[in-house]
Amino acid sequence: MRLSLKAKLLSAALVSTLALTACSGGGGGGTGDGGGGGDGPVKITVWSWDGTVEKAVPGFEAANPNIKVEVVNAGSSQDEYQALDNAIQAGSGVPDLVMFEYFAVPYFAIPGKLADLGQFGAERFANDYVKAAWEHVTVGGKVYALPSDYGPSAMFYNAATFKKAGIEEPPATWDEYYEAAKKIRALGDGYYIAQDTGDPFFLLSLIWQAGGRPYQVDGTKVRIDFTDEGSKRAIAFWQRMLDEGLVNTKIRGWSDEWNRALNDGTLASQIMGGWLTATLPERAPKAAGDFRVALMPQWSEGEKVGSENGGSAFGIPEAAQHKEAAFKFLEYFTHGEGVAARVEAGAFVPNLSVLQSEEFRGKANEYFGGQQTGAVLAEASEIVGTGWQYPPFFEWARTIYEDIATPYYTSGRGSLAEILEQWRQRSAQYGNEQGFEVS
Amino acid sequence: MDLASRIGTSAPTDEHTAGATRDPTPNRRRRSWAGYAFIAPFGTLFALVFIVPILYAAYLSLFQQRLLGGDTFVGLANYTKLLQDPQFWDGVGRVVWFTLIQVPIMLLFAMAVALALDSLRVHGAKFMRVTIFLPYAVPAIVSTLMWGFMLGVKYGLFGSLNRALGTSIDPFTPDTTLISIGVMVTWAFTGFNMLIFYSALKAVPRELYEAAAIDGANEFQIIRWIKLPALRGTLVVTIIFSIIGTFQMFNEPQILQSMVANSGITTHYTPNLYAYHLAFTGSQQGYAAALALVMAVITIAIAYAVQIRGLRNALDR
Repeated sequence: MRLSLKAKLLSAALVSTLALTACSGGGGGGTGDGGGGGDGPVKITVWSWDGTVEKAVPGFEAANPNIKVEVVNAGSSQDEYQALDNAIQAGSGVPDLVMFEYFAVPYFAIPGKLADLGQFGAERFANDYVKAAWEHVTVGGKVYALPSDYGPSAMFYNAATFKKAGIEEPPATWDEYYEAAKKIRALGDGYYIAQDTGDPFFLLSLIWQAGGRPYQVDGTKVRIDFTDEGSKRAIAFWQRMLDEGLVNTKIRGWSDEWNRALNDGTLASQIMGGWLTATLPERAPKAAGDFRVALMPQWSEGEKVGSENGGSAFGIPEAAQHKEAAFKFLEYFTHGEGVAARVEAGAFVPNLSVLQSEEFRGKANEYFGGQQTGAVLAEASEIVGTGWQYPPFFEWARTIYEDIATPYYTSGRGSLAEILEQWRQRSAQYGNEQGFEVS
Repeated sequence: MDLASRIGTSAPTDEHTAGATRDPTPNRRRRSWAGYAFIAPFGTLFALVFIVPILYAAYLSLFQQRLLGGDTFVGLANYTKLLQDPQFWDGVGRVVWFTLIQVPIMLLFAMAVALALDSLRVHGAKFMRVTIFLPYAVPAIVSTLMWGFMLGVKYGLFGSLNRALGTSIDPFTPDTTLISIGVMVTWAFTGFNMLIFYSALKAVPRELYEAAAIDGANEFQIIRWIKLPALRGTLVVTIIFSIIGTFQMFNEPQILQSMVANSGITTHYTPNLYAYHLAFTGSQQGYAAALALVMAVITIAIAYAVQIRGLRNALDR
């Protein structure tokens, strides 16, 4: 009874999506490349918390006099998604282009709230991006967004602290990382190689790199499993780091204390997304010249596998008014001429053309002691392991992670494996309530 | 079922009262319309910002929002689910404990300060009054940030104290966070309650004190037999305000959650925080609405019980 109703609603949604797609697809074909896509001038609204998007507007407006672009910051992440949900529900004020973290794309795409970009031929860009980034914007074989920035995991380390501990080269494997952690801990006085107070994104990036694929999404069927080989390996390693007291479990990321510890060198490294390159100089100005970037340590010597921690894309809501104009701008700033202006302003994009260019790779970064950070991050992007998926309800799942993890991080009772098992159960419960089939 | 029968029983009484006022003289009627015109602005605003949202919440609470399949009417399912939700009761239990401990401490404190100021034996009473009231004027966000830094273990005041005394007290562990929040709330609201007590004391005729002094009463006897009884009604009001305030606790845990690591503040730390989390990250507006309404009913019931008890005591006197 309940199932058949669900199926009916779902098929209704699918049919209407298809119908809409067909309509606008036809319209798109009709107007083709004829300027603004309509008769009069069109104004499109873009919701973005990425400041570099605005940099692409002047060039775009000059090339497309019929389209005016208004970039609005509707809050970041959670706030923006809520605003978008509200606008869609209310049926008014829906923007034409919206920024999403990669994990949020299926959340909007699966219930049919995002336009299938296939109608504009978005598939033709598939090979122009880092493969893993492209996978994030593809849900069920259809493209729902274009990647706009990227967060390959990398190791940011304080070379001065490393040196003080007698470590000359950044650890290339996790075994070396473990040894380095012990040496840094031996410096005493609150010195740690890393800090962790229950950060799901970090743990997932570790699992990702180790080959674990805990989430398998197939339409409305979701499988969650933290017991595959890769996951087990990553979890066991980090568990050991925690058990032996090699990780600071008192300092929360992004807090005032975190800033201070990065500044005074007591926090020797951070394994985070490439975007930290832009943030670190603001957070730790006193450590200027000390930090370097390296690839994430590998699970076995000679290997080269990476993972992600963050990154985002832009999609067009199904309810948007000027889809065609929106796509024009989307293409311009994520793929076309607008990209250069954004990269200039500090954007880190997953476009292969940028990542492979000499200009990007060869640029010396003053804060990192003149290191060519672009080259490292470009490599980190290209080696990201593929096949990773986020469940459509990940936004909710990540907020409850800390609820579950705190008792362990404060009392030491329990284990990471137990946390993940509880997390799996609560996520499954929520997912099922939301109409998915979670196992 | 239950609701319908209630509506059924209340309907006749409505008709009855309507019938009783049906035939006033025309003259009178015009006058009463003028009265409505005067309260219309209030009535409109009251309906818009109070009645309509409540009705909308009640309506929302009958639906379940789903990512797949949209909204479905679920009747009272949200309510039955809520009553069995351990996370909800966890939050309720926490605010109840908090109320039982923090409110008496704060009110005793406020009353003591008010009595001291009223005794006219404190130097610089005006300055004191403003200073104690001042925290109330500081926005909760600012005060929480401030206390967060002050109680911080690594770089804050507590860190320095710990280093100086060789202790390792952490104000933000899962066991101590609630106490720290209690300190913050007490700091912020003592002044407000003090001012209410103080104005109540100001309303006591001075002649009573003179008469008592002539009868040979000392300062403590005056407090015991004149001032404290005079504060009784005010006390009921401040207790009710405080209960409502703590039951709505939101700002402090919400801000501390992102400020301090592993403070034990969960997404369901207080019922309000839980409702916020459900509505804005879980997209379960219906469930959140049900939660808000249940909390409102619980709060009203407790406030009402306090009021009845308070008044009964006042009448006994």
